[in-house]
Amino acid sequence: MMTIAFALLAVASLLLWLRLRWSWVLVFAALILGIVIFVQDVDFATNLGIQL
Amino acid sequence: MKDDGILSPDVARVLNLLGLLAMIGVLAGAYVYQFTYRELPCTLCQLQRLAMVAVAFGAAMNVTLGPHPRHYGVILVSAVFGAAISFRQSLLHINPFFNTDTGQPTLLDTSNPPFGQPVWGLHLYVWGIVLFSAVILAVGIAQLFRGQYAAVVPGRDRLGRFAVIAVAILFVTASAETVTTFLECGLADCPNDGSWNWWFLRG
Repeated sequence: MMTIAFALLAVASLLLWLRLRWSWVLVFAALILGIVIFVQDVDFATNLGIQL
Repeated sequence: MKDDGILSPDVARVLNLLGLLAMIGVLAGAYVYQFTYRELPCTLCQLQRLAMVAVAFGAAMNVTLGPHPRHYGVILVSAVFGAAISFRQSLLHINPFFNTDTGQPTLLDTSNPPFGQPVWGLHLYVWGIVLFSAVILAVGIAQLFRGQYAAVVPGRDRLGRFAVIAVAILFVTASAETVTTFLECGLADCPNDGSWNWWFLRG
């Protein structure tokens, strides 16, 4: 999934090169993928809960 | 919109170009660190890199298309995301007496070692907090000057060639990150121990 997120950023850069104004939508898609990866990475039950 | 005389569109674009190059420089430094110490980035480290590329993309939009609140919005959202990841990773390692494997406190201060080598006394995820905080502060200060949103006069695009080069550098960086991430993670979740995904790269 991380690879796909970076690939989205690369494609967005290519579209920005072509001066397409909506290329930022792909960046937000990559960030949403990043949030999904982050939430999956955190073990809320055994880790974050105890620390809080 | 009236030009307030302090931050013209051209000056704002130059500042954004410098910010973009600084962000690319940090990513290049991360690569140097990665291959010098032979330490592959963990999942949270990759997410911080993702945020850095996204911040650089927002700056590239300002350089290429001209300053716009939406472009600064892309920078801000990306920087807040990166700062959250950096805080999370810093908090994971802030207490050396906490064993993250068992989720229990211990008497050994070696049960929760920091990830990677420090750079100038700070670990990379702590530098991440500094970096993303600086980006948020810089964007906040930039919003004090509305003259940058004045329409650019056609034919006065003095940054044209630099803008193309800046986006080209961003594209090369994002593509390099895609390739190295694919080599480390494949298309699945990244390993947290920082090992290559492909057998021919392990050794």
